[in-house]
Amino acid sequence: MKLLRLSIVIFVFLNILSCASNQSPRDISNYSVPVDNFSKTVELLVANEAFLEDEILKINAQNPSVQRILISADDLLTQEKFLQANSELERAYRITKQDGALYLRLAHLRYKQGLFQESESFASKGLLLSNISSWERLLLNVYLKN
Amino acid sequence: MKFKLTIGFFIGFTSIIVLIFLSAVVAVIDYRVTTKLDGVLWTVPAKLYSRPMELAEGLKLNQDNLIRELEMLSYESVIKPDSPGQFYLSKNDLKIYLRGYQDQRSGIFDVEFEQSQIKKISNQLGISEDLIKLEPIVIGGMYPAHMEDRVLLNWPEVPQILIDTILAVEDQNFFNHYGVSLKSISRAFLKNIQAGEVEQGGSTITQQLAKSLFFSSEQTIRRKVMEAIASLLIEFHYSKEEILLAYINDVFLAQSGKRAIHGFGMGAQHFFGTSIKNLSTDQVAMLVGMLKGPSLYNPRRNPVNATERRNLVLKVLNRSNKIDDSNFENLKNKQLGLSAPNYRTETKYPAFHDLVRLELQKNFDEEELRTKGLAIETNIDPVLQESLENSIRETKKQLIKKYGTKLNDLEGSAIAVDITNGEIKSVVGSTSPSSFGFNRSINAIRPIGSLVKPLIYLTALDKYNEYNLTTILDDSELSLMSGGKLWEPDNFDKKFHGEIPLHVALWQSYNIASARLGLDIGYESVESMFTNLGIQKSVPNYPSLFIGSFELSPYEAIQAYQTIAADGFYTPLRSIRQIKDTKGDLEFSYPYSIEQRVRPEPVALLKFGMQQTFIRGTARGYPLDKIESWNAGGKTGTSDDQRDSWFVGFAGELLVLVWLGFDDNRPTPLTGRTGAFQVWKNFINSINPVESDKNVLPRIEYVWTDMKDGLLSGKKCKNSLLVPFIKGTEPKIIPNVRRSCATKFDRSDSGVLDKLREVFEGGQG
Repeated sequence: MKLLRLSIVIFVFLNILSCASNQSPRDISNYSVPVDNFSKTVELLVANEAFLEDEILKINAQNPSVQRILISADDLLTQEKFLQANSELERAYRITKQDGALYLRLAHLRYKQGLFQESESFASKGLLLSNISSWERLLLNVYLKN
Repeated sequence: MKFKLTIGFFIGFTSIIVLIFLSAVVAVIDYRVTTKLDGVLWTVPAKLYSRPMELAEGLKLNQDNLIRELEMLSYESVIKPDSPGQFYLSKNDLKIYLRGYQDQRSGIFDVEFEQSQIKKISNQLGISEDLIKLEPIVIGGMYPAHMEDRVLLNWPEVPQILIDTILAVEDQNFFNHYGVSLKSISRAFLKNIQAGEVEQGGSTITQQLAKSLFFSSEQTIRRKVMEAIASLLIEFHYSKEEILLAYINDVFLAQSGKRAIHGFGMGAQHFFGTSIKNLSTDQVAMLVGMLKGPSLYNPRRNPVNATERRNLVLKVLNRSNKIDDSNFENLKNKQLGLSAPNYRTETKYPAFHDLVRLELQKNFDEEELRTKGLAIETNIDPVLQESLENSIRETKKQLIKKYGTKLNDLEGSAIAVDITNGEIKSVVGSTSPSSFGFNRSINAIRPIGSLVKPLIYLTALDKYNEYNLTTILDDSELSLMSGGKLWEPDNFDKKFHGEIPLHVALWQSYNIASARLGLDIGYESVESMFTNLGIQKSVPNYPSLFIGSFELSPYEAIQAYQTIAADGFYTPLRSIRQIKDTKGDLEFSYPYSIEQRVRPEPVALLKFGMQQTFIRGTARGYPLDKIESWNAGGKTGTSDDQRDSWFVGFAGELLVLVWLGFDDNRPTPLTGRTGAFQVWKNFINSINPVESDKNVLPRIEYVWTDMKDGLLSGKKCKNSLLVPFIKGTEPKIIPNVRRSCATKFDRSDSGVLDKLREVFEGGQG
């Protein structure tokens, strides 16, 4: 009897999975996290650029060499020396292309430069990384929302 | 009275005329002196630099390529590096004495490798340094017609030892005369009278400067008088420091081909491969010693003379107490320590230079480029450039050996770019890459053959509800009217292959399947995809487009493939990184720009198909682990009658495209595989790219499918292949014949976990 019950449970579970796999293809163009689900934090980030910048600049690189360059880039960014900040970010990018901290800064810098489409593209590219945290993912999504 | 008046009038009149004449002469000389000293002398041609290599902890790097670059920079391999420009390599440890460049100080550093990655960088005290920078290689300049080249120094940049040495040797009384020193002239005059010819000059530094402004070495009385007048005028207009600085920047030191090396800044670069601030006293002494006879004491042509002259200068320094006895003894026994003449002289890499020039023309005029002393930091990687040049040259030799002298005129082009940021790393525009002339990388517009197919297939895969990698295509006989003529394409093997999965048609490069696919998806969709990929040409509406009659230059073709290799993110290719002025401030930059043009999932599917080209298609031959670690993919292309041989392929972070063919468009015996792919292979083998990072697309899953019918299969079934699908688009049917070897769950190992994650995370990612 126990075995029968277990079999039914497994059967139902597998059917759920099977249904999930048989659904029609989803729209894959949208990479954004449904930001509305992330309460007031996201709303604040979207609405308040200074707050967003603070949060971005708090994200450290995984590699100390890259972090050293990011410190200098952040400095230039806050002084609004955008071209120089970009040069520094590109230096870091040549060391690693797998760091969410970099894509966040590139997206933010382009946003500040008024290059919104590029900002969005950098955010989308950052979202392809497999090693970013949920918080970095959420922050990247803010640029898609913006 | 009348007579007296006439004489007085005559004398007066003559005096006025003479005075006017003298004033005119002085005015002309004054104009010439000030014009030159205020203007022309301070103009410097723009210089082109390779990208400076930065070494950082965590950087993936091929150690052999680093050593090649050090050799190109004239770094010397020694057991114990103790002076700038030396290194020692022991297995995984590189000890290097950097010369210093910009903010990078000179000093000894330890670089520790672990496999192909830098693990640690530390300075002499063992303290971690994170980052160090090698100096770039000068790859050319925008020289004016007279080909004067100089590195302009400002007063704070001039080392004291250079000033001391110049004054001690050339003009000890410099700060006490007014441009002309009677004492020196009388001493030289007496000597010359004794010798019966002009043997010695009594020229002060000011006079020497005046002399160089008149571009003549002729020693006539008239010239001497003019020089004396010019010297007095120079002293009248300028301070002693300004005069000395002009002299330091203007003295002629050497001729390098057509290029004239002026000034000590350029002299330091030319002979020692470094900036003046890094020169040791003996090196300064050598350069100053050359003033007496730039040709006679040229250290490369006459090293003995140059050494003797240097030691004489050191002796003068010793006598004037600028160096002590032990230092003198030590310095005079030193080698000259010159850098190799290569890579620091003439303009190199003409095809790359051409791209740079085209880019610059958009923002700078010729005058600015020839005079403002701009430092143009390009993206060229000199090791890759040399390797690409060698590969095209050597492959041509191999092909001539194989196919005979009919390939003597074979031409070609190749471009290597960084996939992600679009930096152009190397370009060749000919099979004789060092010769200037027709640059085929941008000017050879040729049919791209099967290189067009991935673009067509991507157009289809982007319609992911209609096409996936196992969609069945029809490769049976096709006959249709095009432009009033019957069009009947055939395959390279002259066979028809019936119904085949899309990915097989791609890596087997079947023409008819591709033509049918193109016709199905339509010209409009194809044109739109071409535009998204970065092709700016309009697409002709005839079916041969789908099998490769479309014409592009190698540069245009690689731009389109960059978007594919970069997962659908279009980035304009860039040959220049940034441009700095003489103070080192940023004048102009060419920032990394991206735009997502195609969704990454369809591109991932296409890249899978292109990887099969390496595993089982026309680029087969590499071991599987190598292909996977490089994330390699590619496509061969051969145009009608084998007039064009193409290959485009990505490996690691590099995307490389090669074209071979004849300029007069006659047929070759080459296919994409036997021609262009051989260049690609020789190049990639010589540089051995490091493995690339992989992105994981959560909406892609792998499913075992059959290579013939494209339906579900299993790992244990024959003829099966693990194929990626956008979730929800994978085949659902398992044919009865494979029921026993395939099960529904014989998919990618993480299939169930993926589904669970999907249920719980719904939509994220």
